[in-house]
Amino acid sequence: DYAGVNRRFFLMTTAMAGVTTSAILAGGGSAFAAALTADEAAMVLRMTQDIYPHPDLLDIEVYQAVVDGVLAGADDDEANATALRDGLAQVEEQAQALFGSSYVDIPDADAREGLLRKFQNEGFFQGIRWATYFGIYNNPDVWPKFGYQGSSVEYGGYIDRGFSDITFVPPGPSLEDRLAAVEG
Amino acid sequence: MATFDLKDDGVVVIIGSGAGGGTLANELAQKGIKSVVLEAGPRFDTGDMENDEWTQFQKLSWLDKRYSAGGWHGAVNHANLPAWIVKGYGGSTIHWAGVALRFKDYEFKTRSTYGGIAEANVEDWPISLEEMTPWYEKAELRMGVTGKTTGMPHLPWNNGFRVLAEGCRRTGRTDYASGPMAINSVQRDGRPPCQQIGFCMQGCAVGAKWSTMVRELPDAEYTDFCEVRTDAMALKIEHDDAGQVTGVVYADAEGDQQLQRARIVCVAGNSIESPRLLLNSASAMFPDGLANSSGQVGKNYMVHTTGGLYAAMPEPVHLFRGTSVAGIVGDDVYHDPARGFAGGFYLEFLSLGLPFMAAFLEPGNTGWGRSVSGALEKYDHMSGVWVLGEDLAQERNGVTLHESEVDQYGLPVPIVAKTPHINDVNMTNYMYETSAQIYEAVGATDIYELPAYPASHNMGTNRMHADPSKGVVNAYGQSHDIANLFVSDGSQFTSSGACNPTLTIVALAIRQAEYIAQEMGAQSI
Repeated sequence: DYAGVNRRFFLMTTAMAGVTTSAILAGGGSAFAAALTADEAAMVLRMTQDIYPHPDLLDIEVYQAVVDGVLAGADDDEANATALRDGLAQVEEQAQALFGSSYVDIPDADAREGLLRKFQNEGFFQGIRWATYFGIYNNPDVWPKFGYQGSSVEYGGYIDRGFSDITFVPPGPSLEDRLAAVEG
Repeated sequence: MATFDLKDDGVVVIIGSGAGGGTLANELAQKGIKSVVLEAGPRFDTGDMENDEWTQFQKLSWLDKRYSAGGWHGAVNHANLPAWIVKGYGGSTIHWAGVALRFKDYEFKTRSTYGGIAEANVEDWPISLEEMTPWYEKAELRMGVTGKTTGMPHLPWNNGFRVLAEGCRRTGRTDYASGPMAINSVQRDGRPPCQQIGFCMQGCAVGAKWSTMVRELPDAEYTDFCEVRTDAMALKIEHDDAGQVTGVVYADAEGDQQLQRARIVCVAGNSIESPRLLLNSASAMFPDGLANSSGQVGKNYMVHTTGGLYAAMPEPVHLFRGTSVAGIVGDDVYHDPARGFAGGFYLEFLSLGLPFMAAFLEPGNTGWGRSVSGALEKYDHMSGVWVLGEDLAQERNGVTLHESEVDQYGLPVPIVAKTPHINDVNMTNYMYETSAQIYEAVGATDIYELPAYPASHNMGTNRMHADPSKGVVNAYGQSHDIANLFVSDGSQFTSSGACNPTLTIVALAIRQAEYIAQEMGAQSI
């Protein structure tokens, strides 16, 4: 239900209410995407990369998984599919008007981002945005790319795993210093 | 655990099980005073505390319908999440980071210190730091706060705080430390030392951090004097013809309404639900709501003047490793009007996981694109602070009831309004600039300013005042209007201070328990 919300402000907490990473990534393969055409699916893929671009960090498969989830959501809900198709048509229309080109063929990343800014308060856009957010930043499979290690309790915390291992600033006070600081 | 009959009118009914309510329940229980705690949310224990930000947000947060209003950015960007607090056994002590600071002397005397400030409602507390000091000490011993009171050393410094501390040293600061924290640095009070797990605000999975969930509520239930009823949402406080409260109507887990009779009612539902309950309890005798002859119920809502600042450093920091609030900078907690604002502020190192960093770096519809994703690629190089300073009370900031929309309990939905005072704006700019200078002194390559998060520090909506025409409760949290009705949470704060409110809430609750016992013994209530 994340693609077709027709509220001007699609809110983070609203996104949270119905969307989890597992739900987004549960779309499976992209073999069957009845609600959207191949061109529309390609637009969504380009949009996910323009919304949170990490060209040197993330493989295309990360974005494709998000798109699969979005397409599955559209397949499951005609209202979502309609909102998504209408939104994509507006993006394409704007691309043709401004650049005489399909959105996906605009070569300049800043130009594509600028084009999308016009639609950033639309439900279909924020649906794709939050799906991409969860698919990247709330995805434990992707976290290592950003140097994030996530859950630690099962490993005994970070107390023996580098919680104080940097060398470009001085170490903190020793236990003796910390004990002395609270005496009397 | 004891069980009490609904018709038992000898019990104290405490609404809420967090820092105020949970502490009060245990203090009363240790004195042999019977209480029934009505907790709106479910029962939790450490086994529920997973190291995952969104999982815990969904599991713990108070997500009943609310509206954000006023001029702060959250009225748009967090339209249904004005506050980030917990619904469940232990309340927001599950979510708190453990910072256990005392108010400064001048922060109890803001009217005397600052004078009148236009468009603000600044007043003095009816109590002083001197009077509060023994209660702070009791609270620190009870909670296990690192520092001189307990003799427990502060926690070891993690990477993120070491960067901040070095910046402080290079900018001539002297007041920075990894405490006081209500997190065990050694085995104490049957609870283990901190394992530097992180995720303090997702609920401590080992119980090293004090919460009423791990300490006060289990202790209270172990006696024969306290019954905690979870999934019990208070709907209305009832009173008799003499104007004394007689009981609390609540919705139980099945949604059925029950009436628990009471000798005394203590409201501790946090600064949105507490005034909301008093307002929803309006009657023919009290048409403006209970305890509201002053008209101050639901007004003077304070959070903290706040924001976040993160700095990308030249080398990896891995700020998420270890205690979430790993250190506190107190050099700027003083009042000097020459700075362009009244009151002081703290800088507290705060780690965020990647999911929350990505959500809060630029909240709202605009938080995407190359600038955001580029910043997030520096996530593992970041250190950062949560800045928090005194928030001036204003009558226009507060909790009101929606005219037509009701929640799942049939209660009018609360509208929580917050518009920054010019004092807040000036202080915020100053705090950002100060924080940036500290990080630049240690080599920051990029600086990111984050706007206020939905507030976890909520205060002031049932304020204390010596004058019954200017406040809701007296110096013991007792209603000026109704002798057997108390407020036991942060909503009784007269001013916000600069520091995290929990220690003061706990100290006030311990003090209030002593007062209630004394007044009950004297048959005054």
